[in-house]
Amino acid sequence: MSNPASAGDQAKVRIQLTTRHADLGLPQDTGPLLVSTSLRRIQLSSLVNNILSTPRPVPFEFLINGQFLRTSIDDFLTKNGISAETTLTVEYVRALIPPTYVASFEHDDWVSSVDVLSASSAAAGWANADIPAGQEKILSASFDGYLHMWDTSGQLVATSSPTSHGQHPIQSAKFLSPTKLVSAGDDCCVRIWNYSSPTSTDNPSAPASITPSLELYGHHGAINTISVHAPTSRILSASSDHTLGLWSTQKSSAPAAPSDLLPENSPSLTSSNKRRKISQPSPTPPRRGPLSLLTGHTQQVSSAVFAPTDSSVAYSASWDHSLKTWDLPTGTCVDTRTTAHPLYSLLALSGITLLAAGTSARHITLIDPRTSARSIAALTLRGHSNAVVALAQEPGSWYGLVSGSYDGSCRVWDIRSVRPGGAEIGGGQVGESVYRIGRESLRGKREPVGGRGLGCLGLRGIGRSGF
Amino acid sequence: MSQLNGSRKRKLVTRAIPDAQDDNDELGDALLGGILSQSDDEEELGDSDLEDEDGEEEDEESGDGLDDEDELESDEIPSEYGEEDIREQIRNLKTADVDGPNGANGGLTKVSGAELPETTTEPLEEANTEDDTEDLKPNYRVTTDANGNPRYLYREIEPAYDSDDSDAPATTNTIGDIPLSFYDSYPHIGYDINGKKIMRPAKGEALDALLDSIEIPQGWTGLTDPTTGKPLELSREELEVLKKLTRNEVPEEGYDPYPDMVEHFTSKTEIMPLSAAPEPKRRFVPSKHEAKRVMKIVRAIKEGRIKPYRPPEETEDEDPEVKRYDLWADEAPRPDHVMHVPAPKLPPPAHDESYHPPPEYLPDKAERAAWENTDEEDRDKEYLSRDHDALRKVPGYDKFVKEKFERCLDLYLAPRVRRSKLNIDPESLLPKLPSPDELRPFPTACSVVFRGHEGRVRSLAIDPSGEYLATGGDDGTIRLWQLRTGRRTWSVKLAGDEAVNVVRWRPGTEAFVLAAAAGENIFLVSPPRRKTRCRAKLSRRAGRWMGLRSHQRSLRNERASEEGSRCQMDPPRLPARRKGRPHQNNRALNRQSNQLAPPRRVLLNRIPQGQSSAIAIHTLSKHLTQLPFRRLKGLAQSAQFHPSKPIFFVATQRTIRSYDLARQELLKILQPGAKWISSFDVHPGGDNLIVGSYDRRLLWHDLDLSTRPYKTLRYHKKAIRAVRFHQGGLPLFADASDDGSLQIFHGKVVGDLMENATIVPLKVLRGHQVKKELGVLDVDWHPRQPWCVSAGADGTCRLWQ
Repeated sequence: MSNPASAGDQAKVRIQLTTRHADLGLPQDTGPLLVSTSLRRIQLSSLVNNILSTPRPVPFEFLINGQFLRTSIDDFLTKNGISAETTLTVEYVRALIPPTYVASFEHDDWVSSVDVLSASSAAAGWANADIPAGQEKILSASFDGYLHMWDTSGQLVATSSPTSHGQHPIQSAKFLSPTKLVSAGDDCCVRIWNYSSPTSTDNPSAPASITPSLELYGHHGAINTISVHAPTSRILSASSDHTLGLWSTQKSSAPAAPSDLLPENSPSLTSSNKRRKISQPSPTPPRRGPLSLLTGHTQQVSSAVFAPTDSSVAYSASWDHSLKTWDLPTGTCVDTRTTAHPLYSLLALSGITLLAAGTSARHITLIDPRTSARSIAALTLRGHSNAVVALAQEPGSWYGLVSGSYDGSCRVWDIRSVRPGGAEIGGGQVGESVYRIGRESLRGKREPVGGRGLGCLGLRGIGRSGF
Repeated sequence: MSQLNGSRKRKLVTRAIPDAQDDNDELGDALLGGILSQSDDEEELGDSDLEDEDGEEEDEESGDGLDDEDELESDEIPSEYGEEDIREQIRNLKTADVDGPNGANGGLTKVSGAELPETTTEPLEEANTEDDTEDLKPNYRVTTDANGNPRYLYREIEPAYDSDDSDAPATTNTIGDIPLSFYDSYPHIGYDINGKKIMRPAKGEALDALLDSIEIPQGWTGLTDPTTGKPLELSREELEVLKKLTRNEVPEEGYDPYPDMVEHFTSKTEIMPLSAAPEPKRRFVPSKHEAKRVMKIVRAIKEGRIKPYRPPEETEDEDPEVKRYDLWADEAPRPDHVMHVPAPKLPPPAHDESYHPPPEYLPDKAERAAWENTDEEDRDKEYLSRDHDALRKVPGYDKFVKEKFERCLDLYLAPRVRRSKLNIDPESLLPKLPSPDELRPFPTACSVVFRGHEGRVRSLAIDPSGEYLATGGDDGTIRLWQLRTGRRTWSVKLAGDEAVNVVRWRPGTEAFVLAAAAGENIFLVSPPRRKTRCRAKLSRRAGRWMGLRSHQRSLRNERASEEGSRCQMDPPRLPARRKGRPHQNNRALNRQSNQLAPPRRVLLNRIPQGQSSAIAIHTLSKHLTQLPFRRLKGLAQSAQFHPSKPIFFVATQRTIRSYDLARQELLKILQPGAKWISSFDVHPGGDNLIVGSYDRRLLWHDLDLSTRPYKTLRYHKKAIRAVRFHQGGLPLFADASDDGSLQIFHGKVVGDLMENATIVPLKVLRGHQVKKELGVLDVDWHPRQPWCVSAGADGTCRLWQ
């Protein structure tokens, strides 16, 4: 008691190290190690680094029984009532460095959506583009109807040109390729934009510009989310008119636009359009229609994503509590999973066959979409105090997850850290957030930056700025 | 053998008599007798043959077991016969002389025929031959007697068989006229002519004794039981049965062939005791005789001769013989019974009952005051502990008399049967309400706050598609918000500085029309929304009368409810301001173009001051306004259409009336009992109603049940401003109160008429600030989700999820 060092020398515990990282596996099957219970995370991390003999020390976190080790082993054992004579199974994972505030990107209006073009992002991977560090682009969509392109230093690179029918709030924007952007919003129209960066053109001094190249009509209601898949040149949109739209990004392969949906043909807007046409000489981009409209939801569809492994399969989440699996070539609904709450956001976790769905009931449900799965909810992540409206996956990791909520915070989750839920929340497994990222400033847009200094966590969040 | 001997002697004796008489008619008699006797013999033979055959037949019929019986009977009959026969023979002896030989012959031949078997014939013939020879020889022998005198011993004469008198002399008794009973004690009955004793013939007893001496086991049959191989023996019962069978009796034991007759109908004739005759007159006339006697008694009482009642005597002291028993003197434990009243069990005395209790049991001042202040019946102890130094200082018990009196009262009023007291917790009788956790989903937390209104938000409504929220407030603007994000998408200032009282959406999703009432005008507004197809439809349908513009937005208005019964549509101009008396405005959004039936909403936005135009129904498709009431009783507070039938409800200050629009008549008057109704709402099923009142009550009405409220909920501290049912199928309703809170209730209505509605309070939602005594002013539900929005006096609206 009086001498903690001597007490630590006396108390020892056997631990069995495991990991799920393939590149960081133990060199050989080291049996249980006998370590002092006074060790903390740092000592254990250096111990694992010693065993692995890594050239650069890699920070590790340690999971014991689904809980991260935050104190000494002794305290952990005491707190959880585990005997020191048992062999502890300790899983070491790469430590998530807490995200730090880097910069704030000021907008005039609420920001509805963010996308990042970096070396680890999907758009760069599809285009085989090599994005050097420091050249990452950040795309943001705003409620004022404009797209903005930013660089990592917080400088505004480009702003989209105004559309021909006035500015309507954009709800979602994505990188299709380093030079193509997609956006959709309340004007029921999916727009494809060309982004001409000053470095890509021969004239370096010319300012970067975002100009519309294609307009896709077909929805009757506001579009909530879009999802892109560049290799098959498909766009998936989730609309509040209860349908999903499947679109082609190529002019040649898309059918003609339905004429009654075009803004010129809308009789109630004719008067205002006349004046606008006179004032705006910019030519209208070509218009096309949807490849197919998938019907089946009974309320508005909040989110739709492509399956990460198979681009012919899509998942959609709706306010009618259901998550549907679609077969895109035939346009049929394959499977329906009904949950207990309206679903606001959806994310397909690549690498593991799980879907993360943010609900209006302030939690994130991980759903196994396979038809063989018994239970609908595999894991529930609780911690937000308002509806979860944005989800993104940590680049390069299968288990990292970021969520944005109306409570003004983002949370970083590791779904390996689970514990069985109590009866009061209906059983199942419950995860806890690793980090909580509050709003850096009341008026700033949130851009959580994390990872290993290279990649950014892409998070599409809705920031409500006060302008 | 004695019989045979007897008969011989008789034959021998009777020989002499025919000898004396045969002179007269020997030949004839002999001829005749022979013929007769022969014929008799033949008959007898035939008879005997027949009898034999009969006997054989009987034998065969009745079985072998009958043999004994037969023998016994055949023996018995002669025995009886014998005695009588002897007497008859004796009588015959006396009469034979008179009657002549015929009668004797007839009688005797019978006897001989019956009695003597054929075996006797041969000796008779011998005897006859001897008789023939003996006729020549002397019939006697000469011997000497004891005195030496010659004594003639006559040989016994064997009578001839066919002699006439062969039997008759056998009965000759020479004892003369003396009673035969003299010989009762002797074996003989007299003496014959030769002085020989006539032996008493064998009697039945002797035969019985003989037969009894032969031991035959009871039930012996001589047969062999084929089943067992043993001799078959009959039991006593079987024998009895057989015996009864032979006697033609019922073989069953105890059978009574002659039971007592049960008389179903008595032979008595009864006479009806009542008579239908009219009462005699004397029964109705006061009796003079009785009056005389009564007067006599009265006079006697007056004069004091008769005392009407005896003065009570003092009997208390004088009944030492009356015994009193202590019921519970020796009380022993007895099984529980209704009539058994056990002795009351007294608890052992406690410390504080002592006259000198320990000081910690003495009450302090506060306890004493509390004890004295409580009502006498509510005290947990009937006494207050007091401290005395010694037992002699303890005063007398002051409540002694009172206690005894109460005890007597208890005994007097006590029920004779011990009543089993039901000990039921009243809480357990209440119906079990489901816990709110089982009734999810319902709104629990605020998720979006809609800020922007200056001043109070008076009304709000979620559009039928569930995406937008329209609000109207004191600043005179209508605002449209995106429900999910809380972003304001559109706003318009309606009519100057007048507040927007009510906003409501047109039902149905095919048109996007908002109606708002501000001041005395109703504005129909089509907010801009990027739904081109819907807009086109709306424009085609409503273009004729809604093709107005105001400012740069598509704002349309319709104004209604002039004074009296006039209705006037505004010309296509800017919203007109009308002057005159303030009136309440109504507007109806009618989906069907030509029919009055069923309009979806009538709404009323101001407390009216006029009576006739308090309620107006506007048919928008026809530009028609109707004023259904010439004069409405009371101040109209709110009005609603029935969700499915052409019925509408009007709430005045105290009552809610429902009217049939098609038949134009009053259907029902509901009396919620509230002092001032603020608002009400009709359940989407149409049979239930909730009413909110300014006196803090929320009342649930079942229209089928009664005109009084089915349930009254008083949970708010201040007035209830708005109540609303969930219209999308969820069993929820909410109310908004001036104390800044909303309350969410579960109100489940089942189709079964036998089951009442289940009402469970679910959640109190707080968040709105109270400003100037006003809290939440309006509440509305999402058309499908379990979400509700509330409009507060603090200028915000909140979405509760």
